[in-house]
Amino acid sequence: MINVTDDIIIRTVARVFMPFIQIYALYVIMHGHHSPGGGFQGGVILGASFILYLITHGLEDTKERMSELKAGLFSSFGLLIYSGIGLLCLIMGGNYLDYGRLSTILKVIPAQARSLGILGVEIGVGIAVMAVMFSIFFDISTGGVLPEDEEDLEVGDE
Amino acid sequence: MEVTVLVQAVYKAFEILEKGKNSEKAREEARELLYTSAKFTSETKFLTEKREARDILLSAKKSGLALRNFVLTFFILFAFWVLLSGRFDSFHLTLGVICSVLVGFLSHDLLFFNIRLGDFRTRTRRFFLAGPWFLGQIFSANLHVAYLALSPKMPIDPQIIRFKTKLESDIAWVALANSITLTPGTITIDIREGEFFVHALDRKVAYDLNTGEMEDKIAHVIMEADHVYIQDVLDVARIFGALK
Repeated sequence: MINVTDDIIIRTVARVFMPFIQIYALYVIMHGHHSPGGGFQGGVILGASFILYLITHGLEDTKERMSELKAGLFSSFGLLIYSGIGLLCLIMGGNYLDYGRLSTILKVIPAQARSLGILGVEIGVGIAVMAVMFSIFFDISTGGVLPEDEEDLEVGDE
Repeated sequence: MEVTVLVQAVYKAFEILEKGKNSEKAREEARELLYTSAKFTSETKFLTEKREARDILLSAKKSGLALRNFVLTFFILFAFWVLLSGRFDSFHLTLGVICSVLVGFLSHDLLFFNIRLGDFRTRTRRFFLAGPWFLGQIFSANLHVAYLALSPKMPIDPQIIRFKTKLESDIAWVALANSITLTPGTITIDIREGEFFVHALDRKVAYDLNTGEMEDKIAHVIMEADHVYIQDVLDVARIFGALK
């Protein structure tokens, strides 16, 4: 289990930098169709910000921001956005993730519909990757056993 | 601390007298300074009492503070977004606003955590005014370290010095620690409950650190309210003079 670090410099600098890391991650996700980056890279950076918080502020504080339950929900939600957009294209009569077909729903020309569709898919990928990255780190750091589980185990032993 | 301020104010008053060649105007100015510093030192006791009241106030103002922090965080993050993005069409700016609101909502309590109540504008102005001083300090320290490295005898005298700081908030500690590390020749090793462990390259550098000038400067910028510094006294004296 990870506790709060004793080093005040690390703690404060991590705290101050976290919003900037998050906005940078969102920038990477949102500009994925213009510049290097995209859903996966931005999601990893976003996940890294929560991992940084977990390392510096310990498990107890992190749970208020991002818990394992939330991470699971977010990863499913991200996948839902991704597959939802893909299936929507299928329903509109195109192939899976054939964004051009979305032009009738979005009321824009097909080229712009492709741009927006890619953006939507990248947002979904970003959310899912962020949640899964955090979830993996969470599971490794706790060894799959949470403090409340340990209490349950102790009660069970008695 | 109050005594130090008073002594420094007297010293400053004598300086003013010397500079003004004991003229009527200089005497008036010095008297004004002494009057203000005396008033300030008497108010320090009042400040400590106020501190206890502030703790109660802080919890009451928490909801208001959260909104203020959110708005400030939003504007800082949006400026950072525009800097990164460099696209000024409405679509990307709207995305920026949405993302800034999202991050501001998620982590508004991170950027402005444990910061004392005080005038934000004054703090910003002082921050920018203190910038050149820090740059000058870094420049002169650079020259000194270059001299140490280039002289054939290499007259270094490495030592670890340890001092208790009078700063109180953790953000002030971190600012001081990073300023010390940024200045060539000194590195902060650790902070333990307000006690700094600093590695210094030679005696001069260590002496400069021990005078506490940098500490005073940071206390001045961050506005550690419980200590009255000579710069504050001088500022107030100037304001008093302008009002008259």
